[in-house]
Amino acid sequence: MVIDTSPFYGGMDNFDRVFNELWGPLNISQRRVAYPPLNISEDADALYVRCEIPGVSVEDIDLTFTDSTLVIKGERKIEKGKYFRQERPTGNFQRVVNINAPVDVDKVKAVAKNGLLEIRLPKSEDTKPRKISIDIMN
Amino acid sequence: MSKDIAQTEAKGLPRMKPATDILETGDGFFIYVDMPGVRKEDLVIDLSDDELRIGGKSAYHGVANENRIHVEFGNVEYTRAFTLSHIVDREKIKATLKNGVLELHLPKAEKALPRKIQVELE
Repeated sequence: MVIDTSPFYGGMDNFDRVFNELWGPLNISQRRVAYPPLNISEDADALYVRCEIPGVSVEDIDLTFTDSTLVIKGERKIEKGKYFRQERPTGNFQRVVNINAPVDVDKVKAVAKNGLLEIRLPKSEDTKPRKISIDIMN
Repeated sequence: MSKDIAQTEAKGLPRMKPATDILETGDGFFIYVDMPGVRKEDLVIDLSDDELRIGGKSAYHGVANENRIHVEFGNVEYTRAFTLSHIVDREKIKATLKNGVLELHLPKAEKALPRKIQVELE
């Protein structure tokens, strides 16, 4: 068989966990709490939800947006064979993201690339900050 | 970006052991490694003697002008090594990267494949 001799051989023991915590990015807030891990960000035009779902084809991802709630559902299928080691998560997954901003639902777009799913939720026109000109009366 | 800056940034990435499945099928072994965010050009696979070493850096971009609200993952450097058994045919190892998963197929050498033996009746 193939033998794994990574310097971090074996499962996550306490030492590995402490080591990973120390070396993890500082701004990570909820690492390994839920699957799949996701990032949320925004710019002036849209909100972006990105999640890491390697090995999931687009057909197995189900995205729904209702009542300002984005639901990311899917399934990671298992390969057939005799397993020597299994660390990759498999089966159904679901994450719910509350979006507390009005979104233009018709223009929501999702792209998957290199195991990363990116969902772009454009902000609706009414909520965008607008410049109001003020006339000064003398 | 100068080469020096690029190297410093690469050094600063947290190292991570990617989640891996190793399984055997009739004709060989399959290794599946989760490496989301890694592009084909950033993937390194080295085979020397009996050791197969894989590495890669995830390259997420497009967040420079965005305001981060919630963060659970970021750029990392994946690294892992495997020792190959003598029954693997090293010449025929194949690697494919699809949807952020590296799939390695390690076929068994001809001599290691199970053979049917004819029993002759007298």
